Amino acid sequence: MGDATTRFFEDLDQRGYEPVLAKVSGALRFDLHEGPQTLHWLVRIDRGNIKVSREDMEADTVVGTSPALFEELVSGRENGLAALLRGDMTVTGDGRLVVQMERIFPGSANSRGPQRYRKGVQ
Amino acid sequence: MPPSHTVRILDGNNFVVCEPTGDIEATPTEPTGLFSIDTRFLSKWVLTVNGERLNALSYDDLQYYESRFFLVPGLATHYVDAKLSIIRERAVGNSFREHITILNHDEKAVDLEIRMDAGCDFADLFEVKDEILNKKGEIYAEVEADRLRLGYRRGNFRRETVISSSEPARYDRNGFVYSIHLEPNEQWDTGIDVQTLAIGPGGRDLRLGLRVHGSERLTLQQDLEEWIAKAPKVNSEHDEVAATYRKCIVDLAALRFSPLSLGGQNIPAAGLPWFMTMFGRDSILTCLQTLPFTPELSATTLRVLGSLQGTRFDDFREEDPGRILHEMRYGETAAFEEQPHSPYYGSVDATPLFVVLLDEYEQWSGDAALVKELEQECRRAFRWIDDYADLVGNGYIWYERRNTETGLENQCWKDSWDSISYRDGTLPPFPRATCEVQGYAYDAKMRGARLAREFWDDPAYADQLEREAAALKERFNRDWWVEDGGYYALALDRDGRQCDVLSSNIGHLLWSGIVDEDRAERIAEHLVGPRLFTGWGVRTLAEGEVRYNPIGYHNGTVWPFDSSFCAWGLRRYGFPEEAAMIASGILDAAWYFDGRLPEAFGGYPREQTKFPVEYPTACSPQAWSTGAPLLLLRTMLGLEPHEGHLAVEPRLPIGMGRIEVLDIPGRWGRVDAFARGRLDLDQLAD
Repeated sequence: MGDATTRFFEDLDQRGYEPVLAKVSGALRFDLHEGPQTLHWLVRIDRGNIKVSREDMEADTVVGTSPALFEELVSGRENGLAALLRGDMTVTGDGRLVVQMERIFPGSANSRGPQRYRKGVQ
Repeated sequence: MPPSHTVRILDGNNFVVCEPTGDIEATPTEPTGLFSIDTRFLSKWVLTVNGERLNALSYDDLQYYESRFFLVPGLATHYVDAKLSIIRERAVGNSFREHITILNHDEKAVDLEIRMDAGCDFADLFEVKDEILNKKGEIYAEVEADRLRLGYRRGNFRRETVISSSEPARYDRNGFVYSIHLEPNEQWDTGIDVQTLAIGPGGRDLRLGLRVHGSERLTLQQDLEEWIAKAPKVNSEHDEVAATYRKCIVDLAALRFSPLSLGGQNIPAAGLPWFMTMFGRDSILTCLQTLPFTPELSATTLRVLGSLQGTRFDDFREEDPGRILHEMRYGETAAFEEQPHSPYYGSVDATPLFVVLLDEYEQWSGDAALVKELEQECRRAFRWIDDYADLVGNGYIWYERRNTETGLENQCWKDSWDSISYRDGTLPPFPRATCEVQGYAYDAKMRGARLAREFWDDPAYADQLEREAAALKERFNRDWWVEDGGYYALALDRDGRQCDVLSSNIGHLLWSGIVDEDRAERIAEHLVGPRLFTGWGVRTLAEGEVRYNPIGYHNGTVWPFDSSFCAWGLRRYGFPEEAAMIASGILDAAWYFDGRLPEAFGGYPREQTKFPVEYPTACSPQAWSTGAPLLLLRTMLGLEPHEGHLAVEPRLPIGMGRIEVLDIPGRWGRVDAFARGRLDLDQLAD
């Protein structure tokens, strides 16, 4: 289990509310497959209120990926939608939930964001 | 891009571009093919009879999603003495289906070998204009007893074309063959089904069965009929206006696109066929143009763009918190991050325009629930405008791309590299700020204030937005006014120097309301004056500027969408005659294109060319060109929502005759508007 993955889900559970997901309700299960072993994270969202558990229960959306890729996703080194398009992350069920969940993954680690122009400084 | 003799049919972002015979033989200069989710699924599809190519007698575009080809064997000759007829009928929906009929007109029986060559390069839409030499993945073909499977694999990225037939065929790696015997006057038929698959690990299709728009043929037909029935009816004394309107409504139906993240609801895509995807700017401006006629597009556009609003910083995608996206793509280059469209956020106008559309939509529809639903998105949009877009720190929206490899240099609607210049023709450094975007920001804040006061129960926020808007207007009128020209500069450079050329962007300023009242008349004069107005529409850049070129993409051509917003702006500031001049010019031009306006046409004076010279363009129909006649109708009829009812104040030119628009939907239910041409535009021109 990657540290960033655990931290991501524990933080999310502790926050308990995520404004970006205020219009979202449903259960997503992340299945992180490695060989014969699969780790489960279940995220239940009720209009932005979030509960995270390790249960392997039925969900509206099931997201499948490797633990290694997921670690990259929650560290901002990989992008979730691109991973979906590549087939490195798979979805069954309601795809809208994962598209919304992806928005709370962190931004790219190397990104500087908008830079203020200062005269004479390039 | 494909010359105009190619045939296109589509449904959503599944489409076919082919030769008049129905054949597909893709080359970089003729990028034909079967396309879906921004990927080519057939690059070769050639029908032969006994080894001979076929010759087209005629073809019909039956509907936007189906077509029919009448063919005979042999190459074109003066006199075709055909003993055989071949009819190809095809439709796109969830799959691509072709029905082939062969008729023997001879008095003798014949034995025929019918062959379809099939192949695919699985090019990304961004690659189709190039020689495709080094695909990074592996292309394969698998022959099964009852089907041919063409595929492409790169890691877990897998796309497959699966071809099967209702009549038994012999499949090989390069196509399939039927051997048939036909008695005199006998007919033979087969149906061919081509499935386009995006296969994830585990063999499931990545599209999750979310596609709703586009299923069975009957459904498509019903859907189109319902769409037309739901739109208002336009009758006109002169057939042209009503015919153009009907063409636009059907084209809008074709341009609907259902993004995966919205569970099957439709938004307008930007253009057909190469831009059948979600664009922030194009989708919003098209919705603004079409609100009186097809308001449901606005609600879904706002929802989908809101649901993908930026939440973090990403330099490759140019994402910021609160920013509205520019373009979404689903192909290989987006998947492997060779292009940033997953999605790409590099536009500075979509974010303020998002709020503008929400307010305009509410005024028409009375949909208070959506205004409340999108309150946080609007607040985030304003934070983006104030915190992240002001790269110089002087209260304007600026842009400078952070993705220097594949990002857009100019992040305004005039997005070509040389569209922003000083009067001496040189290009300014970055960051840059263009004028129309400041107008949109002003308008967004004024409209946002109304929303805050009436729906969000936050009068303090409303006051704040109004104060900010007033300050912006004052600042703008001080910094952007070109004293010796009597107009607003196209742009400012980072040191505050004006890009002091005369451009169509000043028309957008009228639309936004940022123009000081006492300057509006001078702007109106420019818009219909000889440097900007061609007689058909408004030049993107005025004649006489160093970079002016009547066929310069953003430096002199006329864009119908651009002119339609200029006309709306003129009407807003009380210049209905000037608005009618532009409206009547663009509607006249539309008739030369059979009611389907191109993206742009040449900026030559009308009296010189007598007809509008089409700019060789990639896309037709284009969403915001399709929306232009609709906005111009609104403008000429003076349709305005006003205190819960629809005000109608027509100002039509005499030549337009009588026009009626029936069943205009809105918070008032449905109402009719009638108008008669009374304006003498010749008098105005003198």
